[in-house]
Order: sequence, then C-alpha cells, then structure tokens
Amino acid sequence: MGTVAAAAAALVVTLAACGGGSSSGSAGAGAGTGTGTLTLGALVPPTSLAAAGANWANEAPYIQAVYDSLLHETPDAKILPWLATTWSYNADKTVLTMKLRTDVKFTDGEAFTADVAAKNLLRFRDGTSANKSFLANVKGATATAPDTLQITLTQPDPALLTYLAQNAGAMESPKAFGAADEKTKPVGSGPYILDTGKTVVGSKYVFTKNPTYWAKDQQHYGTVVINVYSTIATQVNALRGGQVSGLNLADNSANDQLKAAGIQLFPHELDWTGLILFDREGKMNPALGNVKVRQAINYAIDRDAMLKAVDKGNGTVTGQIFGTNSPAYDPALDTAYPYDKAKAKQLLAEAGYGSGLTITLPQFNFGATTVFDLVKQYLGDAGITVKYEQVAANDAIAAILAPKYGASWFRLQQDPTPWQVANFEISSTATFNVFHIKDPKVDGLIKKIQTGSDEEAGTAAKELNKYVVDQAWFNPWYRVAGNFAADKKTDVVQQSDNAYPYLWNITPKG
Amino acid sequence: MFRFVLRRLGAGVVLVAVLSTLTFLLLYLSGGNIARRILGQQATEDTVLQKKHELGLDRPLLTRFGDWVSHAAHGNLGDSWFTGQPVSDAISSRLAVTLSLVIGATVVSAVVAVVLGVVAATRRGWADRLVQFLSVLGFAIPGFLVAIGLVTLFAIKIHLFKPTGYVQFGESPTQWLSSIALPVIALSVGGIAGVAAQIRGSLLDALRQDYVRTLRSRGLSERRVVYKHALRNAAGPALSVLAIQFVGLLGGAVIVEQIFAIPGLGQVAVGATGQGDIPLVMGLVLAIAVIVVVVNLAVDLLQGWLNPKVRVS
Repeated sequence: MGTVAAAAAALVVTLAACGGGSSSGSAGAGAGTGTGTLTLGALVPPTSLAAAGANWANEAPYIQAVYDSLLHETPDAKILPWLATTWSYNADKTVLTMKLRTDVKFTDGEAFTADVAAKNLLRFRDGTSANKSFLANVKGATATAPDTLQITLTQPDPALLTYLAQNAGAMESPKAFGAADEKTKPVGSGPYILDTGKTVVGSKYVFTKNPTYWAKDQQHYGTVVINVYSTIATQVNALRGGQVSGLNLADNSANDQLKAAGIQLFPHELDWTGLILFDREGKMNPALGNVKVRQAINYAIDRDAMLKAVDKGNGTVTGQIFGTNSPAYDPALDTAYPYDKAKAKQLLAEAGYGSGLTITLPQFNFGATTVFDLVKQYLGDAGITVKYEQVAANDAIAAILAPKYGASWFRLQQDPTPWQVANFEISSTATFNVFHIKDPKVDGLIKKIQTGSDEEAGTAAKELNKYVVDQAWFNPWYRVAGNFAADKKTDVVQQSDNAYPYLWNITPKG
Repeated sequence: MFRFVLRRLGAGVVLVAVLSTLTFLLLYLSGGNIARRILGQQATEDTVLQKKHELGLDRPLLTRFGDWVSHAAHGNLGDSWFTGQPVSDAISSRLAVTLSLVIGATVVSAVVAVVLGVVAATRRGWADRLVQFLSVLGFAIPGFLVAIGLVTLFAIKIHLFKPTGYVQFGESPTQWLSSIALPVIALSVGGIAGVAAQIRGSLLDALRQDYVRTLRSRGLSERRVVYKHALRNAAGPALSVLAIQFVGLLGGAVIVEQIFAIPGLGQVAVGATGQGDIPLVMGLVLAIAVIVVVVNLAVDLLQGWLNPKVRVS
C-alpha cells in the first residue's frame, strides 16, 4: 500500500503544479496593439460561416471576426463608413449609391470591388440566413464603376443602412462562393482568420490575426478564441475559473455570485417584455376589439411588481415598445398607464364587461412560470378571467403566427429605427401583427417614416408611438436587462441594438 | 477462440445494422416538414421545395436508405445539414474526447470499486457497512450534481483542475489530465457504486469456497489468496456489471460534456437531435453502436481469459 500512496501523492502534487485555472494569455499593452489572446464565450455556435447564410445577434462575433461589412455602427446605432466611404440616396430614396474603398484585399488575395460587393448583397438576399428579409426590398445591385456600388430598391427602406452594417453587408471573397466547405472555412477581409486546424466545429473557434488587415487599429488582439458555453452553470464556472474574458450571460441568476468574484457586469436593455394584444378588431374575442378593454388590461397589471418578481429588478419599467435610443421614444408615455385596479374595473364596466370576461392566453414552457401566474392574478383581480393553453417551446412561434390567440405574453427586441419596429410589430404586414389588421392612420404615419426627411420621419414616429400607446395595442411592462460579463483586464462597450457587443468594442484594459 | 470472436463480431454487425435501420425509419418517419424545420417559419414555399430537393427528401424512403448504406460502407456519412461539416469529420474529431472521458471513468470506477469491494469483503464490520452506505449514496446522487460541487471546490476555490474545456493529450498530457479529472470523477460516481457492491458479494462467496481454505492452509499470504486467486474468480460478474455501466456512461457523458463544455460526441448529440440534423444523428448512432459492440466483445474476451469455463459456449 505504501508505494500506491506515494504514487498517488506524487500525482496530486504534479496536477496541482500545472493544474487548470490559468488566465488566457497576456493582455496586450493597450487597444490596437494586436497581441495577446482574447477568449470569449458564446451561447451558440455559428449556424453558417458563409456570408450569404450568416446570422447575427449572438452569432455576430464569429461573423465580425472574419468579415468586414459595408458599414459600421457606433455603440448607439449611428451609421459609420467602413468598406463604403460615402453614400447618398436619390430623390425618392429608391437608389442608394455607395463609394467603396479600393485598398482592401481578401485573405486569399482577391480584390474587394463594387462588383464583388453587389454579388455578396444579392447572395445574401437570396440565401439561407434567418435575416435574408433584411434585403427583401433590394431589387438589384450593380457596379457602375470599380469603386461605385448602386443598389436599387422596390421601395424606400430606412433600415437598409443599419442592415448593411450587419450580416447583410458582410463581404466574402468571390473565390469562396459555392465552395464545398464554404460554411465552415470562411474567406473574408476581416481582422482575423479562422484557424481550421485548432477549431472544433460546434464547440471552439480559433481566429488568428489577419496580417494584411487594412484597419490595424481595430485589431486589438493577436488571437481570438470563441468557446461555446450553452448553460449558465458552465458560463459561471468558466468565468470564475479565469478561462474566459467575456461572454453574454444566459440569465441574471448568477449576477451576485459573479460580482463577488470580481467579474465586471455590463448591463444592456435590448428587449421589452409584456403582453401583445393582437386581436384589436375582436375577430377571435370581441372584448379585445374594444380599446377600453385593452386599456383596462394596461391599468390592471403592476409593472414594477412584475419586474421585481420575474426578473429580480433587472430592467427598467416602460410603457412603450420603442427603445430609449429611438427617435420615437417619449418618456411621458412610460407613465401613461399607472397601476390602478379601480380604473381598470371602471373601464371594463364602461365597455360593458362589468360582470367580467374571459380571455384565452398561451402558456409557454420556457420563461418563468411566475409570469403566467401573476398575469392571471392581476387580470383576475380586475375582473378578467384568464384561461391558459399549454404551448411547447418548439411550437410557440407557429402558434402565435397562426394566429391561434388573441393575446400573448412575449419578449421582443427594440430595434433602433422606428421603421424596423413598425414592420416587425405594427404595420398591416408586420410579423407580429398576426391578424394583419389595417389602420389607415398607422399606414399614413409609417409612410412618412419611410419616405419623409429625418425630421418628418422623427415626428411621425413619435405620433405613431403615442397612437399605439393610446390605443393600447400592447401592454409593455419593462425592458429586460441582459448582462455581458467580463474579467478585470477587459473593457467592453455594449451595442445598443445587438445582444452581443461588437468585436471591436471589446478591448484590453489600460 | 477464433470462432468465438468471429461469432461475436457477426452478432455485432447484425446489431449495428438493425439499429441503423430502426433509427433511420424513426428519424424520417417521425413526421413534420423537415425542410421547413431547417429553413424556419419565414421561408417561402419555393425555398422549402428547393431545400427538399437539395436534401433528397422527395425521393422514396427505400432509395434514401439504400444510398445511405452504400455511402456509409465507403466511409461517407454525408454532411451535416446545419453546419455543412462532413459527418465523419465531426465524429472523428470528437471520438477521442468522449472515449477519454468514458474509458477514464470506467478505469477509475473499476479501480476504486475493487478497492472498496475488497475492503468491504475482507475487513467486514464497520468498513463493510461504510462501503455499503457509500454505494447507496453513489447510486442516489446524480452525476451532474457531483460535477457542479466538484467544480466549485476543486477548480474555482482551489485551482487544482480545469473548470471547463478539454486539452488534447498531444498538446500537454498534464493539462489533458487536469481537464478530464473532474468530468471523469463525476461520471465514475454512479459506476463505482454498482461494481463495488457486486465485487463485495462475489468476493464474499469466493472466500467461502474450499479452495481458499486449502490455499490458506498451505501457508499463502492473505494478500495472495485474495488478489491472486479469489478476486480473479469473483471478477466475472463484476466485469459484466462494468460493461453495462459503460453503456450508461455514454449517456451520462452527454450531460457532463454540456456542463464542462467538452467538445465530445455528447455535446454534438444534443445539438443534432434537437435540430433534427439527420445525417449527423445517423452518424452518431452508428459510432456509438460500434463502440458498444467493441466494448462488449472486449469484455467477453476478458471474461474468457479470467474464467476458462466461459470460453466454451
């Protein structure tokens, strides 16, 4: 037994000497030095590393590592030049002309030209990305000169420039178009190159510095590693063990633990959550067609209490679906419907439902059950009986879009431009206007947003927001705060319109 | 012996064939529009039909199965529908990782179980009761709970092991050991319990036999009696239990790989089955079936070596 014990002791000592927990490489001497390793965590692996199939949100860092986009965004979503240096619309905003850089080469030696840019745009429009509809209004794209790109639209699109700063504007080398391994071996002009030898598809992506990159001051590290951590437990362990420098937390349950361990948290409000009152014409439930009933619902729910109970206070109470950076935002609207049970009951009585009414809502098996219990309780107190139907996570979107329900709890992104929000949730063809309700006043305002000058569009957006709140099309409770966690030697600036910070805004501290 | 191995291999091939066929049918016949599921709700009907044709879903089931079999026989398992990566690459790059975990857990289980079983059977008394108690505990506590506790204690509070990730053996043997230590321990907990109990029981039986009394009377040390003779006879049933545990470990590896962010087969299995990535799932089922057949064959051979009576069957 003596030799066994000695061997065991030796093993333990060896492991302790070179055991885990070592930090990920040395930090660079400052932003833009391009040395050192940045290890990031992501919730999901990239669906496709081909530009024409690229997704965004939590997959943005993968795409930004290898590809340049035509434009860039500031952290608060203002447009900046990038591969495109200047641009202008024609009078009716259906033709966008962009002047491009001429000094950019892809990592395989191919030159970046207007023709290459045009091809990339059309491939994205016709490709497999979940966001291909970003370029749905693009009728055509051509090169009118080697450095001039012309995009023609079927109608004005105020969100186009934003999309061109994201996955829709990602530029891939023409030699890689249609390659057999296009989805796993990307060829771009971006700050880093994928190291396919060290990469394990689905788990770990290793990128090394692009030695011929044209914007060297945006290359903050020599190597970028993105690991996939799919559960909060794994994320917390990786952070506390010093194995990762930054990641987007899956939820807020470990915030206190992480703060105590010296991890920095960068909060970020991207989504609003609350009820969407779809059936504004009363097709499924006549009661919901009455504005007083919808307003009653808004008065009946205690937003502060919801925020505390469901998301532990991580967020800010709101009464509108537009975000604080949007031209449509009006702080006054946040207090349009204070919590007032009596007022709710009064409105219901005025609408003819003094003796009560029943509505059917879907109950999802994701999201905390607290939400559904509380909604039932608050609405019940005001005289509205809630009947729940169980809906599995996989069927949630399909059931909502069918449409199967007159109203539902949900959580949606607050896009930076009113045009995006209108097309996503308000217009007659909007995804989340599931009954495709047409409202002439709304249509008129959306038209102004689409075609008007910046000032006209801004005024129209504010009017639209006020109208939607007055008419109680939604019952927003609060903006949910997500957090990006980073270690002490990393600095992060959150991106107002994306779940994940943009790669160039993650820098070594000091 | 040769015929024994050949027969076992034959049975293994039949098993793999049956498993592949059943899985194929289950995956393709489970209903739902596969092309639409891949493209999402927003896709147009045209794109869906295009995708259907691209994936060969508009051909008859039997033709598709025939194609899969003939390609698989040449080592071509197709490409993942979601990442585009060749399935054989996806599996081969991860096979070694999962095997490190599972074989490691098996070895650790076996060694610890033998020690515990022997202590229980030879010392009796309080040691025996302690081991039995630990066995029940090992059965009852889920592996991932142990895993989470271990990480907090041994990887974060004390920087003894790595909290997440996997380092290849080729890169650094010590770092490799450090990265699999906690996952292996988490996986072993359940395995130890079953095997230790089995060894204890079989060893008690063996020690009661006449030949043991004879060996003792001839002056053999107790250590030789137990380890060289009695244990060898008691090992048979324990080995069978271990083989069954091994298969269970493959399933346990799925959870452990998620928690420790280890790029093994388990991690990709969760994603592939959740998304309905049929080529990848078929590849995984094939790989796992082959592993199970090989392990069972190895265990049978080991049984044969331990106990010559088993060889004649």
